[in-house]
Amino acid sequence: MSTAAADWGRSVELDDVSHRVAIVGVGEADQTQASGRSARDISLQAIERALEDAGLAPGDVDGLMTSGGMGDQLLPEDFHAHFGTSHDLWISGEGGGMAWAATAPSKAAAALARGDAHVVLNVFAVSWATQRGSMRGGPGEFHAREPLKAQLELPFGWFPQPVYFATIARRHMHEFGTTPEQLGAIAVACRRHANLHPGAVLHDKPLSLEDYLSRPLLVDPLRVEDCCLISDGGAAYVMTSPERAHDLAKPPVWVAGVGEGRSDAGLYWSQQRDFTSTPQVFSAPAAFRMAGVTAEDVDVLTLYDPFTIVALMQIEDMGFCAKGEAGAFVEGTRLYHDAGGLPYNTHGGLLSHAYVLGIAHVVEVVRQLRGEAHAQVPGARIGVYGGYTGHLASTLVLERDA
Amino acid sequence: MSDLPLPDPDAALTRPFFEAAERGELAIPRCDTCRRLVWYPRERCPHCGGDALSWVAQSGRGTLYSYAVVHRALWKPFADKVPYVTGLVALEEDPAVRVVTTLVDWTPGELRVDLPVEVVFRPLRFAGSESSAVVPFFKPAA
Repeated sequence: MSTAAADWGRSVELDDVSHRVAIVGVGEADQTQASGRSARDISLQAIERALEDAGLAPGDVDGLMTSGGMGDQLLPEDFHAHFGTSHDLWISGEGGGMAWAATAPSKAAAALARGDAHVVLNVFAVSWATQRGSMRGGPGEFHAREPLKAQLELPFGWFPQPVYFATIARRHMHEFGTTPEQLGAIAVACRRHANLHPGAVLHDKPLSLEDYLSRPLLVDPLRVEDCCLISDGGAAYVMTSPERAHDLAKPPVWVAGVGEGRSDAGLYWSQQRDFTSTPQVFSAPAAFRMAGVTAEDVDVLTLYDPFTIVALMQIEDMGFCAKGEAGAFVEGTRLYHDAGGLPYNTHGGLLSHAYVLGIAHVVEVVRQLRGEAHAQVPGARIGVYGGYTGHLASTLVLERDA
Repeated sequence: MSDLPLPDPDAALTRPFFEAAERGELAIPRCDTCRRLVWYPRERCPHCGGDALSWVAQSGRGTLYSYAVVHRALWKPFADKVPYVTGLVALEEDPAVRVVTTLVDWTPGELRVDLPVEVVFRPLRFAGSESSAVVPFFKPAA
């Protein structure tokens, strides 16, 4: 495939951080339906578990990364109040979930190299299931407030996200012959993995392709099963330098490559020139180059999957198959963890594990590379997280020592 | 912002679009310098950087670039409108300009991507409110 001619966005230049930062601890908060918990309480639970996993104490942490764009995320004073600490923390708002779950290690590596921090936490949590009743359009609220969308999209009912992505899915179907069965194959693979993961929100709910096809259309061509959950939960991961990484409780998982891509259309999906692609076309090649790997080398893949179509497009845009061919690519068992294909969202993803916006995807890749996953891919050594946030895509390549 | 998604007459960047709709015109900004259409509206032309743009009436013809059929309303104002069809119209003058619309006067059997469509101006209303605004809808072309 060729993406060289793509002129509707760009790759963001990132410093080479390959093997200059390691993930040494991961933790998930309880992933649940509406729970009454706040995002900050959820973050603290995830941090406790990530530090325990790393064999580190709260006093060892001197860097804290969160999602600066969201008002309810953990503050340094919350951290100190909870753990009874008071030391200086290097802080960054360029962390959290979504695309930033992949690029946070790049920023952390720079902080480690400067000596600003030695042990950096990245944490993200949402309590959107709890908040759901009071929000205008759930996660759509952000888009509803955008001035041009408010004038040119909302009056016509082109809102919220399921409508955007149903429209994109229909065009993808038109251009490439993608079918509902193929979108369903993605949903089924995620559910199968969630059924193997005791912490997944939909752990107890099986879904066959026949089940999927029998479900009503929500926003044609998408069904509820094509859409992410709304849940309460979160996760955290701990990063440190190569020197420190070797002395901790678990073997280090190395950051091998990071990439970031941006679409010139910004959040106006309606105007993105290549309507059926994601900015992964600008992100994944750079990350793979930094890591010295190709798509063929990837043992396990997690993708930010608000909708099945977003995963399908990223599989193409990252080069796992040619553009337009992901429909056929994902059919059958290829995405299953144990079928020797391309094990995908082996925790269940945003569709079936939890809607914690990608941070648990990174946790899952780390667990896979340590051999600790519930749906374990035998011998997984190289894992990738593909992040996606509207006009942004990001790619994180992780690797364990052979 | 009110709870109903009616166009805001005080939103400067989009006011000419809805004023044109009141006159029965589908107007799109065009760069005075390079003569290309600019959509969404903005202060400067993204093609040549020109800062003089004029709203120009278009034919109102185009094709249905893609669409979604909303069967279950995902937010309240549209609860009594389902099923409805919303999507993007690629304009005849420049198909790279995609106008978000609601399709009207459609029958299930004729819905398809690239369906020829034409503009029609009608009041947009929501249940429980007397307020309305004329907006450009599109319907299958005659």
